[in-house]
Amino acid sequence: MSSDNITVHHGEEINNSTGVSNKKLLMWAFLGSDVMFFGTFIGTFMAYRNKSLNGPYPADTLDIPITTVSTFVLLMSSLGIVLALHYLKESRMGLAKLWLFAVIIMGLIFMGFQVYEFAHFAHIGMTPQVNLFGTTFFTLTSLHGAHVSLGILWLIFLLYNEFNGNLTSDNAVDLEIAGLYWHFVDIVWILIFGLLYLITAGDGVPPGGIPWEGAH
Amino acid sequence: MSFLKDLFEHDGNGWWKIPKTSEAEANPKSEHPFGDFIKRTKAFILWLTSGKGHAGPAYYWVIAIILGVITLVEVWWFEQDGLRYILVPAMLGFSMVKFILVVAFFMHLRFDHKLFSWIFVTCMIIGVFIFSLFILLSAFHGYGN
Repeated sequence: MSSDNITVHHGEEINNSTGVSNKKLLMWAFLGSDVMFFGTFIGTFMAYRNKSLNGPYPADTLDIPITTVSTFVLLMSSLGIVLALHYLKESRMGLAKLWLFAVIIMGLIFMGFQVYEFAHFAHIGMTPQVNLFGTTFFTLTSLHGAHVSLGILWLIFLLYNEFNGNLTSDNAVDLEIAGLYWHFVDIVWILIFGLLYLITAGDGVPPGGIPWEGAH
Repeated sequence: MSFLKDLFEHDGNGWWKIPKTSEAEANPKSEHPFGDFIKRTKAFILWLTSGKGHAGPAYYWVIAIILGVITLVEVWWFEQDGLRYILVPAMLGFSMVKFILVVAFFMHLRFDHKLFSWIFVTCMIIGVFIFSLFILLSAFHGYGN
């Protein structure tokens, strides 16, 4: 292959026929597969909506004010990571580190809310095996939580590299692909918050269902 | 403030200019009901994007504020008993707007190579198809029994 075909974009050599970064191409392909993955789980949740014949039901469990706060935190973390990337590309390392640190903190706060929510649900008797709502809810939200947790670990690794001087504007694409991943977990949560929480939070006892009398 | 000044300022010749136009020119470009508003809006967007086609920090802040406001509207809508009958389409609509804003601007798909858009949109279509299939199967479950 002629060296004339090789271009450099943010420190990454691009010498393929597509003319785009291999790392970004791989990340977009992964995100595409993850869209289908989450599409299936969200579809399953919606398909089983109002199909649980015993409680607890969504109206007994979901706490919208708390989830609104955690949603807002995750949305703002998306802002944080684009700013971290912007300042990294401009070699303003202080601001880049500050925003990346802020994103990690916001990610941890979001996970804290999820741990609190899961613990509260377990306390009142809503577990994955109790009914269809519990099964589909925990499967979807815990898979999302696993994605967020992985993202936090990835960002901690990148922050460590920023402090070591290994992550600079020359290889900003490494933070860019982590940012794509982070935004993706944000958009999945946008759908979960709209479809899973806000639409179903008012769902009570369906026809033929047994009213829930609380944890025994 | 300049926009408000143009909108409400009396220019001294006995007429309100809403907004002030440049009719002194032979073919004034802003001779329409919005005056210079569109031109100024374009200039503002260019300022937000640093004038380079790529987004700057102010641009990202504006997108984040819009996302925050939409989230608050979603929750407000959810709390209104009178609007419950269109809750599902409204939430789908709000979620899609937020989804597109994040993908287009925060994920740079608006500015990036078209190949990434093709990959993501193709997978989105498949994802939505699977989602719709599940909903349809659910809707017809037990039909005819």
